Amino acid sequence: MKLRTFPQGVFLPHHKEDTAHLPIVRVPEPSRVVLPLIQHTGAPLKPLVNKGDTVKRGQKIADADAFVAAPVHAPLSGKVAGIEEWAHPTMGKFQAIVIENDGKGEEERYEPLPETIEDLEPERLRVFVREGGFVGLGGAAFPTHVKLSPPQGKPIDSFILNGAECEPYLTCDHRVMLERTEEMLLGLRIMVRACGAKRAYIGIEDNKKDCIDHVANLLRNFPIPAEVVPLRTKYPQGSEKHLILAILGREVPPGGLPLDVGVVVNNVQTAAALGRMARTGLPLVERVITLSGDCLNKRGNFEVPLGMLLEDLVDFCEGFTAPPRKIIMGGPMTGITQVSLAVPVIKGTSGFLFFRNVPKKREYPCIRCGRCVAHCPMRLLPYLLGRLAEESLFAEAEDNRVLDCVECGSCAYVCPAGIALVHLLKLAKFEVMRRKLGGK
Amino acid sequence: MEELKLVTSAPPHLKSPVTVPWIMQQVVFALLPAAVWGVVFFGPRLALPPLVLSVLACVGFEALDCLAFRRPLTVGDWSAVVTGMLLGLSLPPGCPFWIPLVGGGVAILLGKQMFGGIGQNTFNPALVGRAVLLISWPKIMATWYVRPAFVLQPAQAATYVTPVDVVTSATPLGIVKAYGYPAVWETGPNLLFRLFLGLIPGCIGEISALLLLLGFLYLLLRKVVQWDIPLFYALGLSLVALLARQNPLFHLFAGGAIMGACFMATDYTTSPMTSRGRMIFGFGAGALTGIIRWLGGYPEGVTFGILTMNALVPLLDRMLPRRFGVKKA
Repeated sequence: MKLRTFPQGVFLPHHKEDTAHLPIVRVPEPSRVVLPLIQHTGAPLKPLVNKGDTVKRGQKIADADAFVAAPVHAPLSGKVAGIEEWAHPTMGKFQAIVIENDGKGEEERYEPLPETIEDLEPERLRVFVREGGFVGLGGAAFPTHVKLSPPQGKPIDSFILNGAECEPYLTCDHRVMLERTEEMLLGLRIMVRACGAKRAYIGIEDNKKDCIDHVANLLRNFPIPAEVVPLRTKYPQGSEKHLILAILGREVPPGGLPLDVGVVVNNVQTAAALGRMARTGLPLVERVITLSGDCLNKRGNFEVPLGMLLEDLVDFCEGFTAPPRKIIMGGPMTGITQVSLAVPVIKGTSGFLFFRNVPKKREYPCIRCGRCVAHCPMRLLPYLLGRLAEESLFAEAEDNRVLDCVECGSCAYVCPAGIALVHLLKLAKFEVMRRKLGGK
Repeated sequence: MEELKLVTSAPPHLKSPVTVPWIMQQVVFALLPAAVWGVVFFGPRLALPPLVLSVLACVGFEALDCLAFRRPLTVGDWSAVVTGMLLGLSLPPGCPFWIPLVGGGVAILLGKQMFGGIGQNTFNPALVGRAVLLISWPKIMATWYVRPAFVLQPAQAATYVTPVDVVTSATPLGIVKAYGYPAVWETGPNLLFRLFLGLIPGCIGEISALLLLLGFLYLLLRKVVQWDIPLFYALGLSLVALLARQNPLFHLFAGGAIMGACFMATDYTTSPMTSRGRMIFGFGAGALTGIIRWLGGYPEGVTFGILTMNALVPLLDRMLPRRFGVKKA
């Protein structure tokens, strides 16, 4: 098998063996869900319901006029107990709609799509995707309909389905590719038709050989040109820019988007959820996540309603073998540490990781070993950018391309001096952007 | 559920097991075969005191410096041990005891601590120490003791073999400088072979190209160093040797070329950060080594060749790699 890859990057211990073999388990509906009014990259939503309203599963409960936004739907039937500030897994606190489950199981569904996707108008599909509340379920949570709406003069020739799942520990995409393959391929057809791509690629890292074989089998007699592309297991292969480079040999220009090189990329789970809505009419109200780490009693891959609280998930997993010292939403390379179990699952939640052992790496001065430079997949000089950030020399950091940083964390992973490089680079990016936008 | 005590930290939450002390220890391991050979070949009486005193001096002076300036003790990072090894291995066997002490003091205090300690220095500390010794005590630094069986002398010189433990001898590069390049080939058969194995007079740890290359191979396999600097160093030195109509292999195996290319020029702090920079750096250091040997006043050019290129590192580090998403301009 010929494996495609990209230059530099790092080989990580992937720790997927704990959960990769565990089939997706549906978690029972919790008594309460909390849906933050921002769960995507873009404009915050306005609630469409009030305290005391009854809502049905699948009913749209928040939306925005802005183009770069995706509506949120009620994941279970019940009563709106309040719209209040609530712990948010990535933003500290944010306004959220709290729904108490009434156990009636009433549903409101959209009209499913006919199976003849290729005969449908792209615009109809884009509206369908937007109404369904779809965002990139890989973690970045960028609204899907925006990606599927290429501007005039930027034709799309290729669509890439991202099944790299390069973050260690996470196996939810792995299971989705194995168990939700038909839905995923239907979703793929919808997205390909919507963006006008001529050819589709499904990129999968070679530590998921079962997925590569299974998906390739189902692609026989597929109505559109599509192929599985086996990728070398190397981090950050799932980064959009590096997936495009590995599969098509194209580099997205600085500050540009995949559509600048004629490509749209989306996550496999987004496609699977979209395929499910096309069949059932039920919008994005649940997703598959991985719960793993070194101190959870029952690890695995779980299908959970959006808005389910972490504490309820931990209860479902029969608690901890020992109290965790660190809880991470997402993978260990880019994930965000959590301060409480009160946070809900949001659209961008690929999993929660629980660690009792939190090794601390001693910090030394930079010894200029060059590992950060040798491994940076964007060919930046992280040691220099980190130093410039420390000295608050943000204009110089911009000159040295700090905005190109994809925040993958490879530099900080390899640093033998334990310097928090990606943290410093994020700080520099933030300051550069703030100054660009004329902020104070 | 009981109250959880959770820590927050910036990603990534995974860190590679490679640490600064681990890296330094690997370099020490890599130098051990050459060091052991030096002790065996020259005998412990000639080779051990300079080696041991050099390491002790480097570690000791760094500790004293930290104490004197009330800064945290940094000797635990093992970098002073590496400096001490490199300096000790590049001293002549049988040199007076104060040579490694002065050399280690200069290397650590002047070459490293004055710049701000590990990672901050412009010049390779071991080479700074060696350069000061070379300039200040040229005679001592060019007196080579060796067992009589391995004396190297050109045909022109009077032969004498006396039944003593050790005698002084010329080195191959010394003979080239004093008697001309052809003379070195008249010192006996299989010169290249003896150079490669380390059966010749020279610095304690620099004589065996084979064992130094083995040590370097270990560092390559452990991913501690990259191959680019030594390769381009060899290319630079070979090119100059060819221009001088001399055998490139002789120049690679003689003197401190392999030690310099594999262990001195590859010093992280004083070499460039980008691959392109390292290639230019290595080539320049190798070429300068050859030019000094060929046209300069010293028989050996490794020290000044690398120190000169050290000075250019800040400039070389200004060359950025090709930007992602931008075609070559």
